[in-house]
Amino acid sequence: MAPRQDPRAVLDRALSTRRVLVVAGSGGVGKTTTAAALAVRAARAGRRVLVCTIDPSRRLATSLGLHSLSGRPRPIELRKLSPPPVDRGALSAMVLDVKSTFDDLVTRHTPDQAARDRILENRYYRHVSAALAGSHEYMAMEKLLELSAGERYDLVVLDTPPTRHALDFLEAPDRLMAFLDASILRWFLKPYFAAGGLTLKVATRTGAIALRLADRFLGLQFLADLSEFFLAFEGMYAGFKDRAARVYALLRDPSSSFVLVTGPQPLALEEGLYFHRRLREKGMPFLAFVVNRVHLDPARELRGSRSGRVRLDPELAARLAETLREQQVLAAVERRAIARLEVDSRERPVLVPELEQDVHDLRGLVEFGDLIFEGRPAAAGRRPRAVAS
Amino acid sequence: MLLDSLFSRRLVILSGKGGVGKSTVGAALCLAARHRGRRVLLVEVAAPLEAARLLRGTPSRGRETEVLPGFWSVNLDPKAAMDEYVRHVVKVEMLARRILDSPIYHRFLTAAPGLKELMVLGKIMMLEDARARFSHKPVWDLIVVDAPATGHGLVFLKVPLAASSAVPIGPVGANARRILDLIRDPGRTALVVVSIPEEMAVVEALQFRELAQEELQIEPAAFVLNACHERRFSDAEEAQVLGLTASGENGEILPGVPLQAALRAARRQIRRRKLTRFYQQRLRRTLDLPLVSLPFLVRERFDLDALRALAERLEAA
Repeated sequence: MAPRQDPRAVLDRALSTRRVLVVAGSGGVGKTTTAAALAVRAARAGRRVLVCTIDPSRRLATSLGLHSLSGRPRPIELRKLSPPPVDRGALSAMVLDVKSTFDDLVTRHTPDQAARDRILENRYYRHVSAALAGSHEYMAMEKLLELSAGERYDLVVLDTPPTRHALDFLEAPDRLMAFLDASILRWFLKPYFAAGGLTLKVATRTGAIALRLADRFLGLQFLADLSEFFLAFEGMYAGFKDRAARVYALLRDPSSSFVLVTGPQPLALEEGLYFHRRLREKGMPFLAFVVNRVHLDPARELRGSRSGRVRLDPELAARLAETLREQQVLAAVERRAIARLEVDSRERPVLVPELEQDVHDLRGLVEFGDLIFEGRPAAAGRRPRAVAS
Repeated sequence: MLLDSLFSRRLVILSGKGGVGKSTVGAALCLAARHRGRRVLLVEVAAPLEAARLLRGTPSRGRETEVLPGFWSVNLDPKAAMDEYVRHVVKVEMLARRILDSPIYHRFLTAAPGLKELMVLGKIMMLEDARARFSHKPVWDLIVVDAPATGHGLVFLKVPLAASSAVPIGPVGANARRILDLIRDPGRTALVVVSIPEEMAVVEALQFRELAQEELQIEPAAFVLNACHERRFSDAEEAQVLGLTASGENGEILPGVPLQAALRAARRQIRRRKLTRFYQQRLRRTLDLPLVSLPFLVRERFDLDALRALAERLEAA
């Protein structure tokens, strides 16, 4: 089946119409840079944009012209760019602070100070809320909900946590709900610990066996902490559940969309395809694949006329030929994998050729954006300077 | 040299962000160990595509499987590791079944943070601990762990620390402390940081090292810089490449090999080679650890031959 529209046009239109852009993909594929470049482009086109990153390294901050980013949105100076943003176009950036987002969530849903303190000071919560595998995803979504609710931004671009399985991100609300829906666990724990002591007195025989096993298995202290944690969360289940449901609703909303960033290697594309399928299954709006760092075949780029034979030192000629052959093999392997992605997903991916240089400033982000949308840097005079050529 | 130092311990944990070729480096390390006559086990954790697949074509399905003589591999499934732990603790099968079948257990398993990581590390500890029945010699001469790649590479290794403070008493806490002792013991465990010559990957690798020292008191044993572009042209030849490019001349240097395309390929190779050197120098300046560079290999299919080439480089390092 022939893939449909030009994916670049689709992506560009989304930048001027959608309210939420989730940039997902596994780590090391230029996800953060892509998210930032899309945000800069949307801001220059006149939208008030917030880019929220989870990348704790200072590189994004540097490329945006700041020394560091914090958990609060900071405005990014775009007026020095030429041309400057049109209309009210503006950009803010922030980095996700997992712990404080979790604390905020707790604060928002606890009825009073005492209940709040009980959670915030619970040992299990203190250790777990920051170190928890998956908490980054939960909190990224929580933040997204909070940010997209206000009127301050026309568009929120969310750079999702890098995971081996990019899908972990999508599963996060499900896991959160399962966690909060652990009614059985609560039923099981509550009678024993509600009184505050570590007693093994239980009502039913089955319960007694289960508890003895759990003690052997996990230790009573752990159960006590866990139980206290669950009890402290008691009044918040409904609020949390509602929150998670709203996160899903937001992600499924037609004003949201997912951009899947991947590398051109067969394995990376396979993973991208899998993610695409899962998005569909979950009814979430897929927008485009962005395949970064595509290697080009020099012989295809240069199809000029050749005349005659050039005499070189045979040894050098052989090494040159080998270098060309290697890059052709690399390009061919990638081309085949990309073609497979097109067939299997029925989407035309946006292909971004390998950059000559790392992106390290605002200008670099603009150029990277041009590369995404034009397939090459737009302004000839501003071509990133190569190290060697 | 490097391998002598690494293989003086029995547990090697590879850490690094996604896409740096950690599993390839892991498989190459195992090949090198096997070459030295060690019985080696490659441990992956819930890997969607196993490194062992490069060699054999069938997945391990959670069991230690012999990929090549003396080279075993296993793809650990956190859930299976958890089930095994339950069976280990609750020795009566009927009772264990009762737990494993209960919905409480399943919810708990998916919900409880860090539990999966803890179980996987616990399983690794058991593998390290395993002794042959009669000789009491270790079952595995070497275990190479391809640690799950996360944005914050430390999360996986930090779980036992978090667990031992979150659950100070009881079996979970005790096991967490044993795991922590194992991974912190430089006589038993080597932490190897894998990276590639790219800005993000290098910055993150350096950050990882710093955090490993600060938060876990673990000093990595070595850095591996994977996918390095090596020098292929001398300075004079590089000048010649630029000169010929400028001349615009275009014929064939060999049958079917157009000059300008080959020059463009060469310029790219030179540029990448310079970037590689830049990051190598930066790492050497910042680190006082052994740094090993592995070459960027181009293959239609990454197979045993490619792994052998990497293993030889590790041996020579």
